[in-house]
Amino acid sequence: MPQIHPPYLYPPYKSTVLRAPKQALVRVPPSPLDTSGPAFPKRFVKQSEADLTQWGKGAPLGEKMILVGRVLDDAGRPVRSALVELWQCNAAGRYAHPVDQHDAPLDPNFLGRGQVLTDDAGEFRFVTIKPGAYPWRNQPFGWRPAHLHFSLFGSTNAERLITQMFFPGDPLLPIDPIFNSPPDPAARARMVASLELESGIEEVALGYRFEIVLGGRRATPMGH
Amino acid sequence: MAGETPSQTIGPFFHIGLEWKGGENAEVGTPGERITLTGRITDGAGAPIDDAMFETWQMDAAGKPPAAGETRPGGLARCYTDKDGRYRIETVMPGAFSGPDGARYVPQFNVTIFMRGLLKAIRTRVLLASADAAKDDPFARAIGDAARLKTVLAQRDAARPGTWNWDVRVQGEGETAFIEF
Repeated sequence: MPQIHPPYLYPPYKSTVLRAPKQALVRVPPSPLDTSGPAFPKRFVKQSEADLTQWGKGAPLGEKMILVGRVLDDAGRPVRSALVELWQCNAAGRYAHPVDQHDAPLDPNFLGRGQVLTDDAGEFRFVTIKPGAYPWRNQPFGWRPAHLHFSLFGSTNAERLITQMFFPGDPLLPIDPIFNSPPDPAARARMVASLELESGIEEVALGYRFEIVLGGRRATPMGH
Repeated sequence: MAGETPSQTIGPFFHIGLEWKGGENAEVGTPGERITLTGRITDGAGAPIDDAMFETWQMDAAGKPPAAGETRPGGLARCYTDKDGRYRIETVMPGAFSGPDGARYVPQFNVTIFMRGLLKAIRTRVLLASADAAKDDPFARAIGDAARLKTVLAQRDAARPGTWNWDVRVQGEGETAFIEF
């Protein structure tokens, strides 16, 4: 089976060089803490956090999009009440974060934070704007392709995942070391959303679909 | 069998989406001895890592998985390192527990750490026990080597009752023992 996740040490992404563990990793059978996990009550999330375009007094700049998707386990079963957290930059490629000093405007009507729990079918829906690409210092003329950051809690602690979602046909994908860090092209393709026009709103917003498959069953006794 | 979605780095801007008010308190929901787990996270050059997110998942004082509270998940803590690479969580002392196979686990946390420069999380378990008390714990057995085991043992702070200290070295001399997944 091809390796799905990126390696720790991946020199094209420079920040891995001093942060990648180098000792042999420990193989240990899953414990009851791996096969259990935190449960999120409905009141943990605010309904308003599913719509990132409602955060300010007015509409944010950019191409409005509806992002639908499902959270699945690796047997293809929907994961209910999974916590989906999302963050992204604005349409100009600037994050509303003090560490981001790149010379692009902030949007007073856009923070870039979303949070939902999946429903009984494992589905989620966000309203947002398409983030811009932005330059970074990792390599000469480096630009990160447009992407959204996702954080997921499934039903067990072993399913915990942080990933990024990219856009189909983006010409910056081939030069992005982060996108290209998983060695298997089929695995990389699973981080690219698909256009799904009918999930959009006619004359208002483009529709995209992003399906997220959590691993972790390998960490359950059944997987051994 | 569906293909898994690959992991990607959390990057440097995660606070926008991942900040939880009071997240450093695990809110286990059942009584127990209040404790603090704190320490520093450093890189392969020994420099503090000031942009890591640190999460723990634990049993309650009776050794059972905590249930959800009204507004918060129980037993989960999330915090962010400061300028000195320091993290700090507040919780109750987890109890010892047993696995379905009868294995005995000393009080411990599952730890997941995310940061810029890590394309997937690092995972480990930190044991709140002496090397002698932990010797039959499955993680201690899997590690084997005594010096390496020491990297995942939290130490009671002699000056501050209820505080346990545990540093994380992500790379190099004294590198913490991390788990393959």
